[in-house]
Amino acid sequence: MSATRSVVVSLVAAAVLALGACTRGDSPPAPPATSASPASAPATERVVGPLTPADAQALATMNDRLKEYVDLHTKIERSLPTLPKEATPVQIDKNQRAFEKLMREARATAKPGDIFTPEARPVIKRLLAAVFGGPDGKQLKASIMDENPVDAAALKLTVNGRYPDTVPLTTVPPQVLQTLPKLTEDLEYRFVGDWLILLDTHAHVIADFIDNALPK
Amino acid sequence: MRTRHLSLIVLLFLFIVTGVGDRNSGITAGTIRLEARQSPAGPLVPLPNRAGSFKFGVLGDFGTGSQAQYQLAEQMVTLHGRFKYDTVVLVGDNLYGSQRPQDFKKKFELPYKPLLDAGVKFYASLGNHDAREQRSYKLFNMGGNLYYTFNPSPDIRFFMLESSYPTPEQFDWLEKELKASGSNWKIAVFHHPLYSSGDRHGSDLLLREVLEPLFVKYHVSVVLNGHDHFYERVKPQKGIAYFVVGSGGQLRVGNIDRASGITAKGFDTDQAFMAAEITGDEMYFNAISRLGQTVDSGVLTRRKITP
Repeated sequence: MSATRSVVVSLVAAAVLALGACTRGDSPPAPPATSASPASAPATERVVGPLTPADAQALATMNDRLKEYVDLHTKIERSLPTLPKEATPVQIDKNQRAFEKLMREARATAKPGDIFTPEARPVIKRLLAAVFGGPDGKQLKASIMDENPVDAAALKLTVNGRYPDTVPLTTVPPQVLQTLPKLTEDLEYRFVGDWLILLDTHAHVIADFIDNALPK
Repeated sequence: MRTRHLSLIVLLFLFIVTGVGDRNSGITAGTIRLEARQSPAGPLVPLPNRAGSFKFGVLGDFGTGSQAQYQLAEQMVTLHGRFKYDTVVLVGDNLYGSQRPQDFKKKFELPYKPLLDAGVKFYASLGNHDAREQRSYKLFNMGGNLYYTFNPSPDIRFFMLESSYPTPEQFDWLEKELKASGSNWKIAVFHHPLYSSGDRHGSDLLLREVLEPLFVKYHVSVVLNGHDHFYERVKPQKGIAYFVVGSGGQLRVGNIDRASGITAKGFDTDQAFMAAEITGDEMYFNAISRLGQTVDSGVLTRRKITP
């Protein structure tokens, strides 16, 4: 599992450099072919210039932490009454806040770095710098900053704290998603200001973050 | 001095845009032709409003709670008075900013209350600003799913997709559903456009690489998207009609890149929604602005399934 993810992450990260996507060309620029990513590889598996084994290993340290988190999330979710498939906003909110409470209690000692491990953090920052330093970097950043006019530090975000209700959910461009380790449906990457947030979508809780993740 | 400078620039702009308007569009507001910076429109093609046809609306990037959203909603209600559509498909970004119970009310339930009260059903897809929990919201009719299909009549099927975090599982599901569908009209709805002239976002080429072959192979006729905050009808691509209808509340004035070469008709100077009618093998469409003006119209024919 870990090895598979390492390969996927490596491939995906490599794709970032070659895919200057989301532009208006007729066809996407082809990434350089490698043995791990031949020219015929489908877009979802394409690779862009492989990570070093050390970087791939550093990112892989996140996987166990992610798995532990998702296991806990699933366990707590099962303990809650099922949200009706045709719910009212009040029911959705009530369910979410109950989930939030239980997640926060279960991770009472959570701190930054528990999921974005100290090994993975510098690699993620470097990968993001590569994405935003590319030909479409300026446009991508503008797209993220759309409806993201906040100073994350001033918001005093905390790991295991509720994602602020008044802060919009930001765009996360596909180039960024391709770069970062893949997540299950329970988690999402978001940006608040220039912080990268790992958001528990159901509990609406910040599972972890990396401050100053976006290059200036 | 600064104000005077600004006034001169504004006057110059008005002068320019007033002079180059399209004669057929008839779209005016005071002395300013709103269509001035758009590509020329053909003569208006009215919606036939036939008995027994399937009538629907398309709305996207709308949930701001702003006055502009409410004003466009009023136009949707006005149209419903004479064109009884019973379905609205939402191309995502249904709620901007906070998504608490009061936001569902202010940004969705109140502006569209007359339509909801009249029994119009809204079917949502999620955009990048939407919380995933919206999938359980009764009035979005998603049945708890991030992606799903529905068929308002045996001949028509909508494929509602999730394009913010698309997964291989969804693509597999989509192919199975497309293959199994016997409907003549296959319409895909999702947030991120495969083709768009948006200067802010533009075409999502990664998604296009995966989805377009499926759409071509399984005879999808129409694709409805949002994300870029304007209305755009894209020139048919591989026989498929693409519309960007991200103009339901948010608006990015002047954001259509005229040099993209893919625009059949663009409107980026005011909010707009789309109304459509499918009758037999034809789909009529009108794009209607916040001022109630028809800024685009036409008719397209479904793709034929060849043995």
